[in-house]
Amino acid sequence: MNKVIVGNHAVSWGVKLARTEVISAYPITPQTQIVEELSDMCARGALNARFIKVESEHSAMAACIGASAAGVRTFTATSSQGLALMHELLHWAGLGRHPIVMANVNRAMGPGWNIWTDQNDSLSQRDTGWIQLYCETNQEVLDTTIQAFKLAEAVNIPVMIILDAFFLSHTSEPVDIPDQVTVDRFLAQRETSIKLDVADPHAFNALVRPDAYMEMRKDQQDWMRRAKTVYAEIETEWKALFGREYGKIEPYRTDDAELILVTSGTVTSTTRHVVDQMRERGTRVGLVKIKMFRPFPTDDIRRALSGAIKVAVLDRNISPGRSGIFAEEIRSALYNIPMDDRPKIFGYIVGLGGRDVTPAVIEDIVEQTQIATQPTREDLWVGVKP
Amino acid sequence: MTDCSLLTCGVEDERTFEMDDYADAMPRWCPGCGDHAVLTAVERVLEKEQLRPEQTVFVSGIGCSSRFPHYLDTYGFHGLHGRALPLATGVKLSRPDLNVFVVMGDGDCTSIGAGHWLHALRYNMRMVVLMLDNEVYGLTKKQTSPTTPLGFPTNTQPRGSYLPPLNPISVMLGMTNASFIAQTADWVPAHLFETIEAAFHHDGFAFIRVLQRCPVFSANIFERAVKSPDLTELLVDDQGINVTNLGGLYKNLLRHDPSDLDRARWLAEPSDKIRLGLFYQNQAHPKYEETRKVKHHTPAEKIALLNTELDRYAV
Repeated sequence: MNKVIVGNHAVSWGVKLARTEVISAYPITPQTQIVEELSDMCARGALNARFIKVESEHSAMAACIGASAAGVRTFTATSSQGLALMHELLHWAGLGRHPIVMANVNRAMGPGWNIWTDQNDSLSQRDTGWIQLYCETNQEVLDTTIQAFKLAEAVNIPVMIILDAFFLSHTSEPVDIPDQVTVDRFLAQRETSIKLDVADPHAFNALVRPDAYMEMRKDQQDWMRRAKTVYAEIETEWKALFGREYGKIEPYRTDDAELILVTSGTVTSTTRHVVDQMRERGTRVGLVKIKMFRPFPTDDIRRALSGAIKVAVLDRNISPGRSGIFAEEIRSALYNIPMDDRPKIFGYIVGLGGRDVTPAVIEDIVEQTQIATQPTREDLWVGVKP
Repeated sequence: MTDCSLLTCGVEDERTFEMDDYADAMPRWCPGCGDHAVLTAVERVLEKEQLRPEQTVFVSGIGCSSRFPHYLDTYGFHGLHGRALPLATGVKLSRPDLNVFVVMGDGDCTSIGAGHWLHALRYNMRMVVLMLDNEVYGLTKKQTSPTTPLGFPTNTQPRGSYLPPLNPISVMLGMTNASFIAQTADWVPAHLFETIEAAFHHDGFAFIRVLQRCPVFSANIFERAVKSPDLTELLVDDQGINVTNLGGLYKNLLRHDPSDLDRARWLAEPSDKIRLGLFYQNQAHPKYEETRKVKHHTPAEKIALLNTELDRYAV
């Protein structure tokens, strides 16, 4: 079934088709439509889930952890300050190994108050033990939402689906909505042996002393690593059923590229367009879209970038005092490959607080990177007023 | 410490202020929003008291009401969702000479910030605290708030709110150190003004719940009360909030001694009438800014204290 829907409703449809059992959320712009649509589905009886209206995002994640511990499929959605308020509980979901799925609509952090997109909200939750998947289109948002439940439950790690504020959340696109029967074949009801069960009592989250804590952490790390393989398998299965796949990363026209642009989120679509145009003019430029940020797909990145001479990373985020975060992760991923294969990494900070990243901005980045012989010590901020 | 700031102490200040002097950006609330009435009443109080803009600060959280500081030419702090009161606590504790006003909505105050709300009352620092209660989340466009009436449909509870609403006045009257608890409504501007005025003169934490119309998302909640003044009961007393110029519109007057806490609690319970007025006032509770005031020491005293401290480590 084809429908023209906004990105937020693409999430809601994915959550519905996944037969989610408990949803708990607090309203925040630009996410609110996701949970409003789900509330409506619950009220109409279209979705057989309990919707828990709570008094803050901190409570929302706590309620999700409780529901997940009881063994049911659980979802929440948030954005920016709401995600930041959840921070403590994000660690609990991560290290407690609760396969919760959350949609985060990327929105800049305050102050000053800003409701438009950038990635600093989700990226500052990097180390909380959540898988992070950045989406480019509404179709990808819907598909990834359903896949996320399967992935989370296979590795017992929570998954965050990430979409750009307004550029996706409030923008309508045609979306193919999979039929329930096929989705049910792809995603069975959640089964877990570890749950709150009066017939088989367990205690959760007891004190873990130094003699066992490291093993717990190591187990989390091993399963994080395994999530990369599991996700590839899930995508293969998804493609067989629905004919679509996205990849942990997606190389685009990179085969003979001298310069590769690296993007995530909706900037990718614009960059794809610029790459096509520049290719017509004979410029050997390509694109790598990063979808999976945690676990970081190091091997895929190395394969995709090691042939290029230069790499320009477009970061819609900033780690204050350091660099764009994707650029920094990529530098680190490429450091230990042979020197001759190592491209020069140029970092660009773009589009913070929802500033538009137009084709002209990207063309400018390509030209600057072509002219430069060496990357500057600091990332370049594009289009910043003096 | 005197109540003059470093900047103006000893300087003759002959400025006088009119209402317009306190106005800043053009308010961007919906037409008919009750927040406009609250802003006007606040500007009238500022003018009447001739508060110097640089000696006055408005702290808010997140919500429609929390846009308040943008619209006033005083100091303003547009804070985080639910955190207006701890932010204001920090301001008042470090600058007790400032006139501190806090503006929150029902979501800000009774939902995400509920913990702070109780403790701020217990601290009892001198500030005017306005909770603009439209009984719905307005800024995010109609979701259930803790004060949403039972059965009222919203976008998060389309079949109507499942729970009876939280009663903010009852909650406040149950807290330790309650010192000024009042209720007023945006559609009775004279009462609104007098209530904020009385709160400003209260020597402690003055909490006002303003019943506030939202013409877009909770339009019919207060409609009956607005159209039928008979459904309103004004609490009056020589020691309370007394408004004489209501044109005989509000005829239900109920004598209530605001020092009577038990009766205040009884009056706060839900009834067939909306009660406006001062439920409770008690200025005997210590204020936190005085409890925690740092004693002023002369240089000689400071040296003596330091020596006493250093003597503990002498060998």
